[in-house]
Amino acid sequence: MTPALAWGLVAGMAITNIVVRGAPMLVMSRLRLPSVVERWLGYIPVSVMAAIVAVQVLRPDGRYLPLAHNPYLFATLPTAVVYRYTRSFLGAVLVGIASFVVLRYLLG
Amino acid sequence: MRGVRLGLPILLGYVPVGAAFGVAATAAGFTVAQATSCSALVLAGAGQFIGLAALQSSANLTAALVATGVVNLHYLLFSATMSPRTRETPRWQQLLIAFTLTDETFAVNIDDSLEGRADGWSMLAVGAVSWLGWTLGTLAGALAGSAIGDPARWGVGFAMPAMFTALLVGQVTGARTLVAAVLAAAFALVLAAALPGQWPVVLAAVVAASVMTAVPR
Repeated sequence: MTPALAWGLVAGMAITNIVVRGAPMLVMSRLRLPSVVERWLGYIPVSVMAAIVAVQVLRPDGRYLPLAHNPYLFATLPTAVVYRYTRSFLGAVLVGIASFVVLRYLLG
Repeated sequence: MRGVRLGLPILLGYVPVGAAFGVAATAAGFTVAQATSCSALVLAGAGQFIGLAALQSSANLTAALVATGVVNLHYLLFSATMSPRTRETPRWQQLLIAFTLTDETFAVNIDDSLEGRADGWSMLAVGAVSWLGWTLGTLAGALAGSAIGDPARWGVGFAMPAMFTALLVGQVTGARTLVAAVLAAAFALVLAAALPGQWPVVLAAVVAASVMTAVPR
């Protein structure tokens, strides 16, 4: 790995990233969007999060785990319950990690 | 400050993954300075790993940049989704929020804005704390090399799934969002068998949002 290649990768990735992440926000926040577009964008977050959870929990390493031996799946239950009733984000994550460690031991 | 508190679970998840990147980058021939600058300037989890792997296997900078660019295309959608929620935010704050836009900061800031509390400063704080975790994690990993071992044994592998689970609970506010969630999850699982990276998530979200927009209330 030459220094030129390594720094080239760092600089190139930095530039592509800020363009991809910055352009839509900076441009679209100054436009008046048609209401149908706003409505569509309104459904994106819940859809993205559900899709991420489904894939991360049911296919943790890129493949399906047997349901009865999937600590990811069962650890989402205490996580969801803690968040639902406490609205504590950090608390839910910590309870989730603790349950995951226990479940991984029990189901492993 | 609320933004810092909201960013802490992300930091918790980023430190070990950042450390894993530090280990991988130094193993691939990056110096500690190069590995840490990469995380500090790019802040793209999967994108960094893929850029590194592509550069290592092909020694071709263009191929590596195309690979990481494709992986990061889903940020176009996230950034567009953030745009109506940053209308009141000054341009310099928008730029920094965009710089720290990741799957995790996106999810946290969107959830927070759903409750009507997110503003430019809170989103900046979420981004800053996340950036700190990612960069310091990489530095630690690059310095320690393989001596750290596998961080997964501490259960931090569940930090991100736990975070998205909590955020999903926050997003499901009624019957229509519940239907959108079920549709997106089902599409994503079908697509995940065939498509790599974040494509299943992006396509599933686009399809589910389109269906829900098309179906009258």
